[in-house]
Amino acid sequence: MLPQYILRRLFAFPFILVGLSTVIFVMVYLLPGDPARLMAGQGATAEVVESIRDELGLDDPLPMQYARYLWHFAQGDFGRSFQSHRLVAEDIGTVYPKTLQLALAAEALAVAAGVLLGLLATVVRQRWANAALLGISVASLSLPLFWLALSLQIFLSLQLGWLPPSGYRQGLDKYILLPAITLALPTAGYLARITHASLAQLRDADFMRTAYAKGATESRAVLRHLLPNALIPIISVAGTDLSRLLAGILIVENIFAWPGIGKYAYDALVHRDMPALQGAVLVFGGSVLLVNLVVDVLYTVANPQIRYGQ
Amino acid sequence: MASKPEALTLPPTNEAWQPARPSVWRSLGRDPLALGSLVVIAGLVLVALLAEWVAPYDPTAIDMAGRVINGQRVFPPYAPDAAHWFGTDQLGRDILSRVIFGVRTSLFIGLVVRGGVMLVGVTLGLVAGYWPGVVRGGILRFTEIMLSFPPLLIAMVVTAVLQPSLSTVTMALIVVGWPDVVRLVYGQVLVAREMMYVEAARSLGASEGRILARHIVPNILETIVVAFSMGIPGAVMYEAGLSFFGFGLQPPTPSLGSIISDGRGYMLAAPWYTVFPGLTLALLVLAFNLLGEGLLRRNRRHQA
Repeated sequence: MLPQYILRRLFAFPFILVGLSTVIFVMVYLLPGDPARLMAGQGATAEVVESIRDELGLDDPLPMQYARYLWHFAQGDFGRSFQSHRLVAEDIGTVYPKTLQLALAAEALAVAAGVLLGLLATVVRQRWANAALLGISVASLSLPLFWLALSLQIFLSLQLGWLPPSGYRQGLDKYILLPAITLALPTAGYLARITHASLAQLRDADFMRTAYAKGATESRAVLRHLLPNALIPIISVAGTDLSRLLAGILIVENIFAWPGIGKYAYDALVHRDMPALQGAVLVFGGSVLLVNLVVDVLYTVANPQIRYGQ
Repeated sequence: MASKPEALTLPPTNEAWQPARPSVWRSLGRDPLALGSLVVIAGLVLVALLAEWVAPYDPTAIDMAGRVINGQRVFPPYAPDAAHWFGTDQLGRDILSRVIFGVRTSLFIGLVVRGGVMLVGVTLGLVAGYWPGVVRGGILRFTEIMLSFPPLLIAMVVTAVLQPSLSTVTMALIVVGWPDVVRLVYGQVLVAREMMYVEAARSLGASEGRILARHIVPNILETIVVAFSMGIPGAVMYEAGLSFFGFGLQPPTPSLGSIISDGRGYMLAAPWYTVFPGLTLALLVLAFNLLGEGLLRRNRRHQA
């Protein structure tokens, strides 16, 4: 049985989505540029622009435009892109899985590298290992993502020739590695610290002493007893961090020409493609909200002691 | 425990008893990492303030005349040498001077943005923590919505709406920055409200406004200061990101992000063009991160 807190969150979710789309509507409405003229393209006659204006209902009062926009959104209709002339929902359907693929690959890399580093620093049990871990993690969080992306691009691909510099290829291909590594680095540094902190906290717990007393070797005690117990905070941090990782998607997709939703949204903004921008931001924001909700639910299920909002 | 005789000895004068808590300066003095970052920050601030005097050249001065090296005419970008320590860009502008002025921009934006973010975030966080019902619900839901947006994209949209400039970039970064602070302050207020001293003040007849101003705010002040300091690097990075994508400060104003963006096409031929501004940006962010870590460590030590 889900706790009441979660039920309330689930119930509130659609309303938050409406709020989200309202904020987007206002922002896009304020953007300079006439949507009808943009849609008609350059060199269109005044009549064509006027007919599009009629068709889109741009002369209607604002509340009416807003109501129509919400009504269409509720049906999953984001309108037609000015650029591709396809339905925005279709466009997003093709770009969104690519972003998901990249985000999951990056998250997997980050968790693997972060947990490994944190584990290493815990097992070594030396001051310098502690200091090195702190150094690595703070440094990886301090590097500007776009600079990191450019540097990796130059170093790993243009100079060493190990990886393709940018682009996308269907299926699991090495094209995903460079953007995924870039995206994973800061998260990995952060996770390494969390892992280390939660392992170090439990390292001298009673159950560890029992394990040693029963004759467990160091590696068995750490891998079978310590790690599983420390895993919950690590997973929850990894989950919450997914939204931070998603924030970096915009930079990484654009630098590595990865045709996901971050690049789609950026292109839409640059070309003032309002329907595409609205759709992309809504899907993006909705995904982050959904991720947060799922993480919260999982967290409550994993730790029944947690009670929110009491 | 409670009946220990020492507990009854009160200070003889009416000087208030002070807990053994060293000043910020003293505890930073014992934390070499934090102290080092403070020195780096002080140095960067000094350089930024004195940019006109420190910078060897005018950051916008173009020199396309070319040079004769080994009988051949060479055009910029020039590699670093004694005259141009960080080299020049493709227009012959001195990179060191541009970086120095870029640091000024970054620091200015970092401080002003973070100040604005704290002002909005702390106010809304206090209100949400203190007025239950519709007000709290509204603020928290709006915060949640704003947190779900991709921050850089929203900052881009805001500067696109308002036309990019120093003030609009500042505004855009405040718009995307405040929600985090609301969450933090709200949580802190909820904890502080349950404290004994609040109950004591209330039972003595203190008004809610007085409790908020005299008991709750002073007790979360330290968290607010740390959050201010730890948020500066984020603001600096977002400004650089905005400028990198052309939605930030417009040329010829140098910004660390825009220099790196300009140098993108020369990364192989003229690596100094992007490496030096990138390292400077990383140093600036790193120093603020380490200082924030130090302050956080100090707080944790004294809360225990």
